[in-house]
Amino acid sequence: MKKGKKIMIVTIGLICFLLTYVMCMQFKVIEETNITEIENLRETELTEKLATWKEKYEETNIKLQEAKQKIEEYRQKRESNQETSDLLDNELSQARRIAGKDDVKGNGIIITLKDNPDEVEGIISQEDLVELINELKLAGAEAISINDNRIVNMSDIVYTDCIMVNTKRVVSPYIIKVIGNQKYIESALTTKTVGYIDKHRSKGKDITIEKQNNIRILKYDGELKLDYIKVKEEQ
Amino acid sequence: MIFVAILIGCIIGAILGINAPVIPYTYSGYLAISIVAALDSVFGGITSVLNGKFDLKIFVSGFFGNAILSILLTYLGERLNVDIYLAAIVVFVGRMFTNLGIIRRYYIDKWTDKLKEKSMNKEETKKE
Repeated sequence: MKKGKKIMIVTIGLICFLLTYVMCMQFKVIEETNITEIENLRETELTEKLATWKEKYEETNIKLQEAKQKIEEYRQKRESNQETSDLLDNELSQARRIAGKDDVKGNGIIITLKDNPDEVEGIISQEDLVELINELKLAGAEAISINDNRIVNMSDIVYTDCIMVNTKRVVSPYIIKVIGNQKYIESALTTKTVGYIDKHRSKGKDITIEKQNNIRILKYDGELKLDYIKVKEEQ
Repeated sequence: MIFVAILIGCIIGAILGINAPVIPYTYSGYLAISIVAALDSVFGGITSVLNGKFDLKIFVSGFFGNAILSILLTYLGERLNVDIYLAAIVVFVGRMFTNLGIIRRYYIDKWTDKLKEKSMNKEETKKE
């Protein structure tokens, strides 16, 4: 009888222990899952939410694709803009080179004219220079300078008390640097008897001609101003 | 003696339960249904004590058997996509209420009997 009572007490105690243990565990679990709401949701709610999120995901994905396409378009446009601006840059630099606003370099010829005071016609006149420049232009010279005065389309070669190039005084020796096809220029100047060099040497002028690579010709240092001309508008 | 055992069991269980590791939320449903089943058998046990028909074997087997059976039924319901645990809860909680009613009636009867006895005793002393 006493043994049976002991067993009963122990078993009831054990059962109480088990019950409270499991209950406390459950309380704790529920309390912790309340903090993170997602776990607390029922499966159906979760699937519903999942579906809505999937929809949203797809929508945003479509939007993303659209945005990507737009970006691609813009990129292409920008590239074409880049192309046009490159083209404009090229044109501008070419125009500057033609106008003589940039220092240039290239293969060409250096012609030196010296006064020869022993001969009657040995002095170099401004006409000689003009003639030479015209010959050089005819031979396809791309850049010309006389004593580092760049010859551009507005250049002047005149005689007042001395020879003036670009309204600057130049004196003998006149060093004329030319960039262009060396062969053409040389052959144009050195034609026998009627060529520029033979013709003027026969008058006793001191002329030397020399081929040189990498000639450096300075830019036109004056101001190129257009006040009166206007571009004729197309009708 | 038996109350001391119950108290000690409860206290130790509470302390250990609070410090127990957290089980995943998906299993807490099974745990909850087993708790309800166990509580039902506890109230049933109390009722049988009051009726003088308490049997430890029946109590223990009911305690564990109901808990395990309810867990198994819940699992089966989940497999079948039927909320069987709802039926288990209805049955267990309904039984809990009936048992509680029996317990309540027993103690109220006892109390009223006592009050009657007291008043009878007072009347007897007055008469004397």
